[in-house]
Amino acid sequence: MISDLFSTTVLIGILASGIRLATPYLYASIGEVFGQKSGVLNLGIEGQMLLGAFAAFYVALTTGNLWLGVLVAMIVGAVMGLAMAFVTVNLRAQQGISGIGFYLFGMGVSDLLFQKLLGTVETVKGFPKIFIPGLSDIPGVGEIFFSQNLLVYIAYLLVPIAWFVLNKTTLGLKIRSVGENPDAADSLGVSVARIRYFTIILGGILSAVAGASLSIALLNVFQQNMTSGLGFIAVALVYFGAWKPAGVLGGALLFSMINSLQLWIQVLGIPIPSDIAVMMPYVLTILVLVAAVSRVRAPSALTKPFERED
Amino acid sequence: MLKNNRWINLAFQLAALLLAVIFTTLILLAAGAPPLEAYKNILMGAFGSLDNFANVLVAWVPLLLTTAGLLITFSAGLWNIGVEGQIMLGAIFTTWVMRLLQDTTMPPALILTLAILAGMVGGALWAMLAGALKTFGGVNEIFGGLGLNFVATALTLWLIFGPWKRPGVASMSGTVPFDDRLSLTVFTGLRLSPWALVIAVAAIVVVYLLLQGTYFGLRLKAVGRNARAAFLLGIPTWQYMMMSFALCGLFAGAAGAMQVVAVYHRLIPSISSGYGYLGLIVAMLVNYQALWAAPVALFYAALNIGSIQLPIVLKLDSSLSGVLQGMLVLFVVLVEGARQQLMKKS
Repeated sequence: MISDLFSTTVLIGILASGIRLATPYLYASIGEVFGQKSGVLNLGIEGQMLLGAFAAFYVALTTGNLWLGVLVAMIVGAVMGLAMAFVTVNLRAQQGISGIGFYLFGMGVSDLLFQKLLGTVETVKGFPKIFIPGLSDIPGVGEIFFSQNLLVYIAYLLVPIAWFVLNKTTLGLKIRSVGENPDAADSLGVSVARIRYFTIILGGILSAVAGASLSIALLNVFQQNMTSGLGFIAVALVYFGAWKPAGVLGGALLFSMINSLQLWIQVLGIPIPSDIAVMMPYVLTILVLVAAVSRVRAPSALTKPFERED
Repeated sequence: MLKNNRWINLAFQLAALLLAVIFTTLILLAAGAPPLEAYKNILMGAFGSLDNFANVLVAWVPLLLTTAGLLITFSAGLWNIGVEGQIMLGAIFTTWVMRLLQDTTMPPALILTLAILAGMVGGALWAMLAGALKTFGGVNEIFGGLGLNFVATALTLWLIFGPWKRPGVASMSGTVPFDDRLSLTVFTGLRLSPWALVIAVAAIVVVYLLLQGTYFGLRLKAVGRNARAAFLLGIPTWQYMMMSFALCGLFAGAAGAMQVVAVYHRLIPSISSGYGYLGLIVAMLVNYQALWAAPVALFYAALNIGSIQLPIVLKLDSSLSGVLQGMLVLFVVLVEGARQQLMKKS
């Protein structure tokens, strides 16, 4: 019944799972913010996520050690990032196309490994909920914000950290200058290549953690192509959030709250066709985007390979 | 020494192919699957019999149509990720007109023509929606297109399980198939329709001429290179962008229409079969040159159809063709980069 939707328990449930569902978007999108701020578009997030998700899941399943799973996923993400940085920075490849190459590669390899190493869908005991002492006892608020698993908390911590690094540190200044005017940055002695290597590898690591957060913290399974477009949404959220960590947070929350709402609508058996319900997050997010037209400019050197003029 | 010669380019492309195969082999070995067996299966699956090769061409048609459309949006500097949804809307509109007209006394040829045209209109409308979101709503076309893809998928499923469901029980196998007289003529004994082939080839030729030989194509490319400069030169930028979306949608819609009238004879949930994303790859790989689209699309169609056999024989599923496709894209990009560095030195 519709009225069920407004009971306190359900509202708390919707908000709590909305907070949780935003986790993978936060990791992946914040990685992408760093990349795009330095002038690099990474369209391969989805592939990095899938490989990260598989690596974390497989390690957690075979060793029982969740942190080892996250660590291995991070290494896998870093290697993918390194390869992407080489293609993007040294070979000056077109970023859109190489990104899609990495996407297909990651999807294919994770699928291949899944079939050869696991074969069937299994579940793993994922990160447990951590109840923050004191805070988690506050009625409502405690359940929504302070009874999540560790990967969720870390994702939200990343937002202020990313803001601080980008806006208040020399590294952040270098990243932004490389993305806005690489020639000027270069003439001032900033290594464009080194900065972009850093942001692309960081993006790879964060995307892989985003995948791990799905496979060993939120869903606790691995399936073929389990991300199903999530990585591309993460790229889109960067545009939505106007290249600001806080904006990305807003977009990720909006998207996952609506998603959580439509999941609950289906759980409660409210008579809306489920096919229509799954459209909701996309339609509403597009509408919000239209309503809040903020024509923020993209970093000037986005997708442009840097070449020093002799 | 190294001139920008067509043959040298070809040699580099072949080197990319070779590298991709070598790397995929390594991955297969690491995963404990027999590589030679796998490749033999792909080759036989694509070219082993007339039947198989006809199926490759069946896949080639929508891929080529989609690529043709995407060449136009790419020329205007637009990332039309929403092309997948445009294929679906083409299929939906075609199915809709077919359902409306199937019980009338109209000649089948007329019904089919109207249905295909409706599909093209459907694709174009969906594309213009993405275009309008970008131009008037300030919604980046990647986000808008992606969102619209999900909406199109949901719409397709809703139609199949709701208003257009089979009498009795709705199922994933799609809507009720149309009468035999309402499908495009096929070559005897094959699933391939000569009409579909003609339409696909005509599409790529039209796009080639449009981009290479017309004032419109030239101005479109100017918009793609530098929208601001083009605007200052007096080109109505946003109208050109909308136009390129609409044109791309026409071709994508035609691809969806073909899937309905020539291949499945009904609306099925996976009617677009990922041809949109594959089309994006092909368009980028041919470096936006329409002439090369036909052979490259054929190669990808063969790879796709060839690997259908894999799950049955090797329990590998189509993941292998995914790995190979990813590798191919990467190595083409890589080798192209290496080639340019070499040329600069010589």
